[in-house]
Amino acid sequence: MKKLICALLAVVMLAALCACGGSGSGETIKVGLICIGDENDQGYTYNFVRATETASAELKKQGINVEWIIKYNLIEGDPVAVANEELAEEGCAVIFNNSYGQEPAMLRVAPNYPNVQFVGCTNEGSWKDDLDNTHNAFAHIYEGRYVAGVAAGMKLQQMIDEGTITADGAIIGYVGAYSFAEVVSGYTAYYLGAKSVCPSVTMKVQFVGSWSDATLEANAAQALIDQGCVMISQHSDNTTPATTAEKAGVFHTGYNADMISAAPKASIISTRIDWTNYFVYAISSVAAGKNFDADYSHGMKDGDVVMTDLNKDIAAPGTQEKLDEVIKAISDGSLNVFDTSKFTVGGQSVTTALAIDTDGDFVPDQGEAVWDGVFHESEYPGLMSAPYFNLAIDGITRLNEAY
Amino acid sequence: MTASQTKASNRRKREPLFHLAKRTDINPKRAWMVRGISFLAAIVIGGLIFLIIGNNPFSAYGYIVSGALGKKVAIRQTVKFAIPLLGTALAIAPCFKMRFWNIGAEGQITAGAIGATFFALNYANTMPKPLLLLVMAVGGALCGGIWALIPAVFKAKWGTNETLFTLMMNYIVIGLVKYLQGGPWEGKPGSQIIPDFSQNAVLPKVFGVHCGWIIVLLLVIFIYVYMNYTKHGYEIAVIGDSVNTARYAGMDVALITMRTMFMSGAICGLVGFMVCSGANMTLYHSVADGVGFTAITVAWLAQLNPFAMMAISLLLAILDKGAGDLQTYMKVPTSIADIITGIFLFCMLASEFFINYRIIINHESSGEASK
Repeated sequence: MKKLICALLAVVMLAALCACGGSGSGETIKVGLICIGDENDQGYTYNFVRATETASAELKKQGINVEWIIKYNLIEGDPVAVANEELAEEGCAVIFNNSYGQEPAMLRVAPNYPNVQFVGCTNEGSWKDDLDNTHNAFAHIYEGRYVAGVAAGMKLQQMIDEGTITADGAIIGYVGAYSFAEVVSGYTAYYLGAKSVCPSVTMKVQFVGSWSDATLEANAAQALIDQGCVMISQHSDNTTPATTAEKAGVFHTGYNADMISAAPKASIISTRIDWTNYFVYAISSVAAGKNFDADYSHGMKDGDVVMTDLNKDIAAPGTQEKLDEVIKAISDGSLNVFDTSKFTVGGQSVTTALAIDTDGDFVPDQGEAVWDGVFHESEYPGLMSAPYFNLAIDGITRLNEAY
Repeated sequence: MTASQTKASNRRKREPLFHLAKRTDINPKRAWMVRGISFLAAIVIGGLIFLIIGNNPFSAYGYIVSGALGKKVAIRQTVKFAIPLLGTALAIAPCFKMRFWNIGAEGQITAGAIGATFFALNYANTMPKPLLLLVMAVGGALCGGIWALIPAVFKAKWGTNETLFTLMMNYIVIGLVKYLQGGPWEGKPGSQIIPDFSQNAVLPKVFGVHCGWIIVLLLVIFIYVYMNYTKHGYEIAVIGDSVNTARYAGMDVALITMRTMFMSGAICGLVGFMVCSGANMTLYHSVADGVGFTAITVAWLAQLNPFAMMAISLLLAILDKGAGDLQTYMKVPTSIADIITGIFLFCMLASEFFINYRIIINHESSGEASK
């Protein structure tokens, strides 16, 4: 009797084993993602989480099954370190940390797990640490900003032409998180985009001192509108600048997510990073047993930066055609966002700027970023993926400074 | 019917359905039974919530437990969550015993963290590790103590409301850390991040967790002895019962208030030191992370008993840590995890209520107690 049961059991187990083997055609790889928020922000973290889905679909085509383990609401410090540790213990081959502030904690854990790859998105620690298993990734989001700026500039020019505002009244208000290279690079690109189609445009920047604070962002937008800004854009996580703009009857362009549903009469277009390509690149490399680049930043050419749908009801006529043309020019390299002939600093054109800080005093001391008449942002290999454009160009006024 | 009769019948009509009476003689066995039942009730109600949002309650609780205690890393983190919670509950217990409502533990922890960080950033290379850690601990305790002393002085001298005062002090000191993070102590300009401490300023680990756990366990014993077997503890208890009695007995109420608050703040400051040196290895504005408020619940639930605080802070730490796995594996939003924690706290508070009071149903005819 016992023998019979044993035999039966063996058969059942074998069958189960076969079933398992049959269902997954390729290998399954565990991947961790540590998020500063959760999908409910409908912005920053949501943008990562939806890329996990598209990346999984993409990788499935290559025969790689991905099991994502996503941890939410981890901002900084020890909880982030523990999350990295837990994911490594769980058997994740790659762990993505999606926010800047998580990197110090990630770097504390990385040396203990040399076979696990750690990625700090938007940060820059990996090139200077001595670890082989740490990486940084970002995207040429300034390209998307530039394109959004073109859409904004066309709207402003239309308003000037129609007599709604004077040429001097074409003022953009920009809600920035911190006066920090990533933000400076973004709003400068946005301004240059607007200026390329609306020469009289100027810009005011109000910093809120937080990446995500719905109320502060709304207040900053309102303060800018009170100072005469007729176009609002933002480098912050919430949709409140869009809704504030709508309430005040001015226009808006967004970041991270389509904000048209939040402000249908104000929000013209948004730009966002599509993390799918990077996820696919990193995960497929690991699956193939290969190492992948310590630094990564691509732009519109590769589809890492995309525009959301244009709000045709309020955009100036011909905007879509113009945007397509600009995107094409950026992609083929004929248009450089930070073309030094297009902007000045203190009335002078820029001929030199350093990108990298090597001695830890946080002032760039190495890595010339300007050559061939272009400031090369997020240039790698050579420089680094994290933004370092930090020049105060003419035409942009900062209403307040770094916190 | 005379006028007085009408009045009497009206009054009876308006009489509520039940009234409460204080229990004085519940036996401990029964009290623990009530606690057990309310704990089960919390589990059942929480389970219903999981059912409503479409999750299997058994696997949900399973994830909470395995997320908090399933692996070595997880257990360590759960203990790390419990350390500041227990330490802070211990810190505020004497104040509460004295009926001085110190709800500024959040700020006192933060103040202590600032004090400790000052030495960590400036003396890491000039002091040997044990000395540096000692100086950080003392610096943290002093900062926390002084931060708590300010409202105590105002209360003692001018009778200001300590609840509002201690609460407002929280925002000031948290704002101060934000300033330090973006100003003098900032690492890379614009990053808002204070650089990690050097290894010299990091608390050593014992069994994988920073040795703060030993410190809080010692504190448990200290507070127990202090509250029950010292003159100070007796004075605190008398003031808590009646300030006038204390005065009549010749106690210096102002002095005792200030002394107790200083000690309370100093322990909070020590907690701040342990969190930033042991766990985070840096300082940021949410270093206290709500612990100062949750600790109030812990202290009350434990009825200011240090040993009960150990159990309760551990339970809350398990819920807190386990909630993360709930979202990771079951896509249960954190808000649900917060609701579950709330239900547990609510039920546990309710159990203390039923232990201390009995409900008496008012019968229309007699209005007599039902039992």
